[in-house]
Amino acid sequence: MSEESQVDPDLANLIGKPTGKSKVVLERGPVAYFALAVGDKSPIYKDTRAAKAAGLQAIPVPPTFAFAWDTWGKFPEIQPEDDVPQGSAVGEVVGSLMAKGGTILHGEQEFVYHKPAYVGDVLSGEGKVVDAYRKESKGHVMTFVVTEMIWCDDKTGDPVVTSRSNIIHRL
Amino acid sequence: MADNEQQVLYFDDIEEGDQAPVKKHRITRTDMVRYAGASGDYMPMHHDEVFAKSIGQPSVFGHGMYSMGLLGAAITDWVGKTSLTKYKVRFSSQTWPDEELRTEVTVKGKTVDGQRHLVDMECRLLNADGDVKVIGEAQAELPARN
Repeated sequence: MSEESQVDPDLANLIGKPTGKSKVVLERGPVAYFALAVGDKSPIYKDTRAAKAAGLQAIPVPPTFAFAWDTWGKFPEIQPEDDVPQGSAVGEVVGSLMAKGGTILHGEQEFVYHKPAYVGDVLSGEGKVVDAYRKESKGHVMTFVVTEMIWCDDKTGDPVVTSRSNIIHRL
Repeated sequence: MADNEQQVLYFDDIEEGDQAPVKKHRITRTDMVRYAGASGDYMPMHHDEVFAKSIGQPSVFGHGMYSMGLLGAAITDWVGKTSLTKYKVRFSSQTWPDEELRTEVTVKGKTVDGQRHLVDMECRLLNADGDVKVIGEAQAELPARN
């Protein structure tokens, strides 16, 4: 199979580029509903008594909720002033690739959990592009862009979750 | 295990090769719509059959992050809701309406890092034919006895 990595100056310039800042409030209703939507029926996600009985300080969030929480708790009045254009960290990069046509695929997703996230937490996130490369495969030009968003506890500054997404643009 | 029970899994009680209880689910179009609403991901190929067919797909198909979420639920059902330290997957293939999905979570290794007791797992979501939908790895920090 002929698969070749290419060095592209435009892509190299993308690495390190900020993809935006965001502040989110982790809300109880969306957490309960998200857990249900991924097939997790545990009462821990909807009933504070069940969370306490399991020895938890509050209702925790499902492991993939970090990918969706700025849909819910990104309230306009708490956003950082110096935000890079509105939209998710991934959205900005995807938009510029899609201007050429083609298809966007989510290739890989990774979460690193530094500490548990709970309902009621307020988290500040900051994103950047951490890798970008291009390959030709089976007649397609595949552009890979890896973005990283680090979410920290707004009170303590401690990291809570690092989210890394490998987005593929196939042309 | 009943849905309302959360049993504590101890580091000492698991060994390499152990597997989490299998979670099975037949994915429906309703699941896809519910996940779209819960996540805010309204990309039309996941809920609009007319659109999906117009771009050459046989039908709507599931969100990759739904697959990751379903597999994640099987992992946290086993290791506990706040035990994960890492969870990473590669999206291998699409999920289609009415496919029977099943989880497979296997312990690959155990390490002690200072006070931390870590368990590494390999995880996959498959259909009834054994086609891989997502494949990845997870790590959990578990309590030790004594």
